[in-house]
Amino acid sequence: MTVLKRPDAFLPPTTTEDVAAESARWTAETYSPAAAQSPEHKPFVTDIGIAIDPLYTPAHLERAGFDYLRDLGFPGEYPFTRGDRPGMNRTDPFVVSAYSGFGDAEACNQRFRKLIEIGTEQILVALDLPTQCGYDSDHEMATAEVGNVGVAIDTLADMELLFDGIPADSIKRIGTLGNSIGPIVLALYAALGEKQGIGWHRYDVNLQNDPLKEYIARGTQILPPEPAAKLASDAVAWCIEHAPNWSPMTVCVNHINAGGAGSSMGTAIALANARHYIELLLARGYSIDQVAPLLHMFPDERHDFFVSIANLRALRRIWARMMKETYGATRPEAMACRTTVYGHGQEALAEPLNNIPRTAFGTLAYVLGGATYVYLAGYDEAVSTPNENSARVALRTLQIIAHEHGFSDTIDPLGGSYYVETLTTQIEQQILDGMAQVERIGGALAAISTGFGRQTMTEGAIRRQRAIDSGARPWVTVNKWPQMPNVPNTAFRGDDKATGRQLARLAQVKASRDQLRVKAALAEVERATAEDCNVVPSVLEAIRAYASVGEIVDIWRRRFGSFVPSTGF
Amino acid sequence: MTAATSKPPQRRRIRVLIAKVGLDGHDVGARVVARGLLDAGMEVIYTGLRRTTEEVVRAAIEEDVDWVGVSILSGAHRVLLPKLRRLLDDSGASDIRILAGGVIPQEDIPSLQASGVAKVFLSGTPIAEIVDYLVKETAHG
Repeated sequence: MTVLKRPDAFLPPTTTEDVAAESARWTAETYSPAAAQSPEHKPFVTDIGIAIDPLYTPAHLERAGFDYLRDLGFPGEYPFTRGDRPGMNRTDPFVVSAYSGFGDAEACNQRFRKLIEIGTEQILVALDLPTQCGYDSDHEMATAEVGNVGVAIDTLADMELLFDGIPADSIKRIGTLGNSIGPIVLALYAALGEKQGIGWHRYDVNLQNDPLKEYIARGTQILPPEPAAKLASDAVAWCIEHAPNWSPMTVCVNHINAGGAGSSMGTAIALANARHYIELLLARGYSIDQVAPLLHMFPDERHDFFVSIANLRALRRIWARMMKETYGATRPEAMACRTTVYGHGQEALAEPLNNIPRTAFGTLAYVLGGATYVYLAGYDEAVSTPNENSARVALRTLQIIAHEHGFSDTIDPLGGSYYVETLTTQIEQQILDGMAQVERIGGALAAISTGFGRQTMTEGAIRRQRAIDSGARPWVTVNKWPQMPNVPNTAFRGDDKATGRQLARLAQVKASRDQLRVKAALAEVERATAEDCNVVPSVLEAIRAYASVGEIVDIWRRRFGSFVPSTGF
Repeated sequence: MTAATSKPPQRRRIRVLIAKVGLDGHDVGARVVARGLLDAGMEVIYTGLRRTTEEVVRAAIEEDVDWVGVSILSGAHRVLLPKLRRLLDDSGASDIRILAGGVIPQEDIPSLQASGVAKVFLSGTPIAEIVDYLVKETAHG
């Protein structure tokens, strides 16, 4: 009886040329005849337009000019392709995060306590649309919107109630989006620490505070883009001085890709936005080594699992090179791109429980790509504020990815995959080409004013819609085994009781605060705004005095005017 | 001058105002529908984001449209759509019909229709279905 052993290596050893020749032979002799019998069942092309080969081999890496030390290196070191942290999930696991908010602070506080009890390590507060757009709950524009898609925050009193029994340093990070009201939400979190007696160095705050993408993709813009970007950079500048441990800006691909731009062009536009903010801060005298460590990126890809992994790896490589070569960064912290991700799949309205595997797969891709802060959409999130059950499933899914199946046991497990490395290089090139294109039209502000960003998105959204309508991109329960969409009657249903409580609290705060102090503080905001100073110190004082979000934003509306909505499509 | 032919008069092209009301800033769906209707030969005007119902009514009348297609994803439909119908009627524009799209629960559809919304299309509806509906209903209107 013979014992089977591994065969000896070929002598002389196989070269890449041998593999390329054999690969061509396999395609001609084995694959093509089989495919002639049983044709490929759909066009194999990614959402970002890269055609997918049937098989990837070392010949692909050779063609892409792949070089291990130059292109990958090691985790926590330049160019950070394999990870932004040295030990990644083995020593410094991704942060299990929740985006949550609804109704008023009182109702929402109970949900936050529950989320923390079951293991949430970071809470990003979802604000309702009036708060995000700078209107108090009693403003006419807030009609039927108070507490609908997030929690209503009018004054510091709401923040105190929202974090009642939740010390700012009791979880890894707290924060919110606040894209068009960055200095105000920053002040709310700074004042919260003061109220709770916790120094700013003892807790971490994360803000999205990325107004430029609102004009292209998300739609909560208040002012014209230029002053909006300046106010956002005020928040970063204040943190450099007072809370360098905070992350006051997260530059977003998310909404731009979801709106149709595709993840590569979305990344290019987001990086152009990042450059705009960075250059505002450099012009104020800060160094790139001070600025870059405070910024995060929010990459996004929700159609193609492997593209998602490759996109994160390519983004880290580009970020590191941009910081080092373009801006002269010297600190590793300034070159390591920290990423926030929000796990989606291509969620459907029909049979919503199917969105659980969809979002789990989408999130797994981000984790395999090395994401730092990870959120996961509730399976009902497209149609409602996640209920307690869907929020729990989202959190548990993250914990399962973190602890089960060995997903997080070795660093960058797909590094070296012929397919993933080929994609990483192709996507890197697409992003660099996109960045050059935005640069040619004049940068981030021009991408807004010329309509380039929105046009790119509309065309992509139409392309996606056609692919779905024609069936070229299969979507289970939509174009495969189609089912009726189901929108539950809880869809973003406002809670009238919460609205009533919110209006009563706002009226009570406005009646009982020190009116002279409020008036003086608001006058100071007006002065800082007019004199082009950093507005955060004056906004912080106004927030401490219980001035409302709307009162502060009104000063900016008067000074800068409102954005002009684009009617192009 | 030629005598009138026996052919029925050529109806003008269908005119549609696509509108975003309230604070909801998601307008990809609205823009994709706008483009789809345009491609189907209709005349389409888009209001842009964050319009009040009053502004939408003014635009609908000025532009002399057959339909107003409103996109809402933030849950404000129960208040804003009946208000839009009422304002159109009060302005003597009861011939302008309302379509709604976006995130709207099935349970809300009967009451929206009772308050004068002609049709609700949930997100995910193929564009061709909307085009077919508009062509059919405008002819019968």
